[in-house]
Amino acid sequence: MLTLTLAFRNILRNRRRSLLTLLSMGGGFFLLCLTLSMSEGSYSNIINIFTQDHTGHVQIHKENYLERPSLYKTINQSNAIIEKLEQQSSVLSVAPRIYGPSLAYGKNKTFPAQVIGIEPDREANTTRLKSKVKQGEYLTDGANNDGYYSAMIGYSLAKNLKLTVGDELVLISQGIDGSIANDIFIITALVGDASSYERMNVYISLTAMQMFLSMQSGEQSQVHELAIKLSHQGEARAFAMNMQIQLENSLLRVEPWQVVESSFFNSMQADKKGSYVSMGIIIFIVSIGVLNTILMGTLERTREFGVLKAIGARPTAVFYLIMLESFVLAIIACVIGLILSLPVCIWLASSGIPMPEPIDMGGIIFDTMLGEVSWFVVLLPTVVVILSTLLVSFIPAMRAAKISPLKALQAV
Amino acid sequence: MTITTQTDTAHKVINMTTKSEETVIETKQLCREFGQGDTLVKALSDANITIERGEFTAIIGPSGSGKSTLLQLIGGLDNPSSGDVFLDKKNISHMTGTELSDFRRDHIGFIFQAYNLIPVLSARENIEYIMLLQGVSASERKKRVDMLMHAVGLEGLGDRRPAELSGGQQQRVAVARAMVSKPSIILADEPTANLDSKTGADLLDMMKDLNEQQNMTFVFSTHDPKIMERARRIIRLVDGCVVDDERKA
Repeated sequence: MLTLTLAFRNILRNRRRSLLTLLSMGGGFFLLCLTLSMSEGSYSNIINIFTQDHTGHVQIHKENYLERPSLYKTINQSNAIIEKLEQQSSVLSVAPRIYGPSLAYGKNKTFPAQVIGIEPDREANTTRLKSKVKQGEYLTDGANNDGYYSAMIGYSLAKNLKLTVGDELVLISQGIDGSIANDIFIITALVGDASSYERMNVYISLTAMQMFLSMQSGEQSQVHELAIKLSHQGEARAFAMNMQIQLENSLLRVEPWQVVESSFFNSMQADKKGSYVSMGIIIFIVSIGVLNTILMGTLERTREFGVLKAIGARPTAVFYLIMLESFVLAIIACVIGLILSLPVCIWLASSGIPMPEPIDMGGIIFDTMLGEVSWFVVLLPTVVVILSTLLVSFIPAMRAAKISPLKALQAV
Repeated sequence: MTITTQTDTAHKVINMTTKSEETVIETKQLCREFGQGDTLVKALSDANITIERGEFTAIIGPSGSGKSTLLQLIGGLDNPSSGDVFLDKKNISHMTGTELSDFRRDHIGFIFQAYNLIPVLSARENIEYIMLLQGVSASERKKRVDMLMHAVGLEGLGDRRPAELSGGQQQRVAVARAMVSKPSIILADEPTANLDSKTGADLLDMMKDLNEQQNMTFVFSTHDPKIMERARRIIRLVDGCVVDDERKA
């Protein structure tokens, strides 16, 4: 207790210098907290936009499907797996999909198209596809009175084929049984825009797709992909790992969005590392200030350290005293930093900063930079400030611990 | 008691008899040199000194005679160039830094010329700190601090910081701090040099009383005639050599 008292009083000894150091450290904490909040908030926002655009948080495929997609690599009896997934508390929705690269024909023109079979309701609950309908009505499950199934067509494909809502679209592909798949669909909606993911896609109902490609339906339903939306994107890795264990013997692979969209994730990680550089610069500047204070404080007190050692304080006791002072200084700085930064971070998380020029990310307008308040945002600056303070205090503390008591007593 | 001194020209052996039975300090062929080659300075040469428990000894000599060096070597603050220092029959000359710290904490009390109190601690806390290093219980610490505050005449001033005390009062706190760990010996380097003569005399009387009442061993390094008057033994150093050892009746 007396050692702690001594540490506190030593900090208060030169109040102005300690206050300036505390403000510098607290300011560093504030900047770190703010940078992290903005960075994590923005990435979290982008991840949400990205995963809800079409990927989902977790996907299930047949083994090796992601590396080499194939019509034949199907998830069989998908309904049973969907039922099992929907029993998980963290699962909000599951969207089954079938992919079939096809040739799209309309008004004397043909273009390659990615035809995707979806369950309209499940897809609407999992991704933003429904909100991307620019013209017409969102996809329905059944066929119309004439027996034609409806289709939604991507903006660019529709433009290339000169098709619009109400027109007929002919799709030609290969069925899973080796037969030639061809059918006529009625366009009920145009989706996305020239830059969106859906621009060259055609969406038809899962039932229509299974019929089109001669795939199994009902209890034996075959699909290529199950996209899963979780209650929070942060749970993706753990959920995928847990589900993989449950589906161990099924030749299915459960992978989080970080693996499914690895190029996006890797570029995001690289971008994050860039922001860590700026945080490193903040820490460096703050650390120099702290080093100055601790160094000055120990130099001024060399004689006192000599007295402490002369009366029997071990070198380690002197070392720990200086480290304790630095630790106390760091804790106070963190409290100051937290008091300053928490209200700002909460405001950023709730209101955000409007962007002068909104960014269009695949058809989704990104117009506000949102912050985030989380344990990570608060704890990382705390750990960084404490560790960097202790690190820069190490050298002055070692110097004071090692100095001969006689030399220290002779210091002016 | 036997004092052996060696000068450049001759050996001089002074034999004395003492009533003390227990040796606290014994130095054997103690040397301390600074610098090397042409700049070599022999601060202390072959000093053989024995001090018994309860002595009130003054080491005197002109400036640069090696008084402080001898005190620093006895106190384990400095390492000898050659020779040995035995304190409570333990050779402290080859101890490591931590061993010396522990030894100083438990066996030696220091009183410095410039008081050297910790400015951010109160008088009580300055006295208490060394016991904290020794791991003495809180109740025992309080008891000993109260007793010593009374013994050095500083009752009621315990909560004052050093800056709020006079020089004499600060030196009394330093005396209490030196005594609180119940050391085998108290080494005082010019303890009265910064005090006016009356305050210095009062302080010395107090230390003399403590020496007589508690059989505490005091060794002074000094120029002060007041200490020489009160000392029962005076060791004279010249150019790093013990040239005289006088015991008063």
